[in-house]
Amino acid sequence: MSGTLTAKTPGAEFLESLKSDFANYLAQAGDTNFVNQRKQAFDLFLNQGLPTPAHEEWKYTNLRKAYEANLATTCLQEEGIADLLASSVLNGLDAYKLVFVNGCFQPQLSALPQAGDLVLLPLSEARKQNAATFDAHFGKYIPLEGYSLNALNTALMSDGAFVQIKKNKKADKPVILFQISDSSLVNAFSQPRNLVIVEEGADLHLIESFLSNGNGTSFTNAVTEVMVDKNAHLEHYKLQRQSDTTYLNHFTQIHQEADTSINHVTLTLSGNMVRNNLHFYMNGRNCNSLLYGLYITDGNEFVDNHTRVDHAMPDCFSDEKYKGILKDQSTAVFNGKIMVHLDAQKTNAYQRNQNILLSKDAVVNTKPQLEIFADDVKCTHGATIGQLDEEPLFYLRSRGIPENEARKLLLNAFADDIAEKIRIPELVQVLEDEIARKIS
Amino acid sequence: MLKINNLHAEIEGKKILNGINLEVKPGEVHAIMGPNGAGKSTLSSVLAGRADYTVTEGSVELDGKDLLEMAPEDRAREGVFLAFQYPVEIPGVSNTNFLKTAVNEKRKYQGLEPMEATDFLKLMREKMELVEMDKSLTSRSLNEGFSGGEKKRNEIFQMAMLEPRLGILDETDSGLDIDALRLVSNGVNKLRSDKNAFIVITHYQRLLDYIVPDFVHVLYKGRIVKSGDANLAKELEEKGYDWIKAEVAASI
Ligand SMILES: Nc1ncnc2c1ncn2[C@@H]1O[C@H](COP(=O)(O)OP(=O)(O)OP(=O)(O)O)[C@@H](O)[C@H]1O
Ligand SMILES: [Mg+2]
Repeated sequence: MSGTLTAKTPGAEFLESLKSDFANYLAQAGDTNFVNQRKQAFDLFLNQGLPTPAHEEWKYTNLRKAYEANLATTCLQEEGIADLLASSVLNGLDAYKLVFVNGCFQPQLSALPQAGDLVLLPLSEARKQNAATFDAHFGKYIPLEGYSLNALNTALMSDGAFVQIKKNKKADKPVILFQISDSSLVNAFSQPRNLVIVEEGADLHLIESFLSNGNGTSFTNAVTEVMVDKNAHLEHYKLQRQSDTTYLNHFTQIHQEADTSINHVTLTLSGNMVRNNLHFYMNGRNCNSLLYGLYITDGNEFVDNHTRVDHAMPDCFSDEKYKGILKDQSTAVFNGKIMVHLDAQKTNAYQRNQNILLSKDAVVNTKPQLEIFADDVKCTHGATIGQLDEEPLFYLRSRGIPENEARKLLLNAFADDIAEKIRIPELVQVLEDEIARKIS
Repeated sequence: MLKINNLHAEIEGKKILNGINLEVKPGEVHAIMGPNGAGKSTLSSVLAGRADYTVTEGSVELDGKDLLEMAPEDRAREGVFLAFQYPVEIPGVSNTNFLKTAVNEKRKYQGLEPMEATDFLKLMREKMELVEMDKSLTSRSLNEGFSGGEKKRNEIFQMAMLEPRLGILDETDSGLDIDALRLVSNGVNKLRSDKNAFIVITHYQRLLDYIVPDFVHVLYKGRIVKSGDANLAKELEEKGYDWIKAEVAASI
């Protein structure tokens, strides 16, 4: 009796529009390796389809509303992006900047270094100017199989950043990549794609900042591919602060060669729906991988962090800690996979996920997944979900500190654990402001 | 100053306080003794405002104000200070930051400006000397990893910083070494004035040699069953509680 016969699979129209986008792309593309790579990617995407909660990896995270938001791919933008950037706390930071709006490069808002040890370009430019490097690395590290949105990004990517720091060099300033989704004119779909190469012995501080503008819906499907060569160091921060009409899927792959160290912190401070995949692959001995995250959610916000650490070689160390503070009806998902491969003896891997629920309607789904195939391994994991402890709260109040202040002190203490992993004071300040704002 | 009248309290349906009557006047020190489980910590928790307890009957007034109506922080700002039997560890909250917040919240309540940073540090130094607290403790997280004795000292240090009208010491002496006991007692004695008062909960006469009480009360099964002067504590030290329990049993 009902209209089930005409019911479409979720995102059917979106899928059709993607097909025609890709057909349009092919019509004017040549027959290069790059185009073939994208063709294969699109086929892989079509084979797998858009992710839905029917997929185990997407059990809790439903992007259907994003698919059905009548999205358009556009470089058009409202004025006000400059103001948005000016009001960003990161604006005061002395850094090189690459700004993208809906995946389109904004030269007038960017600040690039002189030609030298640090190469910072839109990816579309790098593909022409630095063809050899681009070809050697692009798409070499991210999985497409099982990650249909990576395949989609590869096939139909917008622009993005190309960051390269040369052998044994240290960038003199941090690099900030601003990705702004602007839905002020249309519901915007963008697919930023970044490629970061830290050459042997080099040292880079990289911040990826996700912002939004406009009241329409936006869906950002971003991929960041990072290659860290032998003996290099990377400080990598992700700052996600979008509005409550945004959908953000960000896949980050960090490929590590021997003797590298990486300090990564993901801060998800606002946004309607955020899905992060953070994958580390240790492809050499003596790798050191630190991955930390903090999410603070309220209203109907939804944050999903999927992480995967592949200990593929012996003698590596990974330390992972994700913490969450949840208010109202917000939801968080944490899924942390640690794969210790057969050869990865003497692996040390630690993982924790700790959550504080400030309301009875907030929900956390947490799942550690350890798969260990080597036998000489130290591996621990643990997850907690609870309210703010009454005992410390009472102790502070009994000293005359009002409840709200006492909560703030305790939540700051909870978050400090992650904040202290951040080596950029401006970022720490954002965090404290955000806690103060969300708690009051 | 403090008037406890027929106070009854329970936790999870279990009656713990069964009609406490106690009046404390400015300048006085009251010692409360009594066997384990008698309800001494319960009484101090109820006075400080711990939410786990339900007061089912009776009243508590501080300077004529209904104490039981107030939130814990307001009680503190009205001058109640409880030195906990088991101070909680709070990782991530620095001792100094915590104290600064507490001191300034109290000042705000009194309509005063926040304290200048230098004045605050001076006050801290002064009060730390009072209980000979190690300077390194103040930069650490609140009570985190403190030894038992260090925690107790920290309680008295906080009390010295906040200068309460009514200080309640719940077994502050247990866990203190002999020197620390003397120090902490001296600290309390220096804080004594004719404007404030103390309730000292203890199991041992030893503490009362240093902090000489005006009154000694025996709490048993949630009631004050005997009161006397400092000599009562000495008697208890000698004879234990059996004779009191017998007296109570006989009177029923
Ligand atoms: N949450 C609770 N549920 C049930 N009973 C409780 C609870 N908390 C305390 N009690 C009981 O209340 C009684 C009084 O405890 P309280 O801590 O006040 O004793 P106390 O006089 O301070 O003892 P001590 O000298 O050992 O410190 C004890 O029998 C204790 O077991
Ligand atoms: Mg007790």
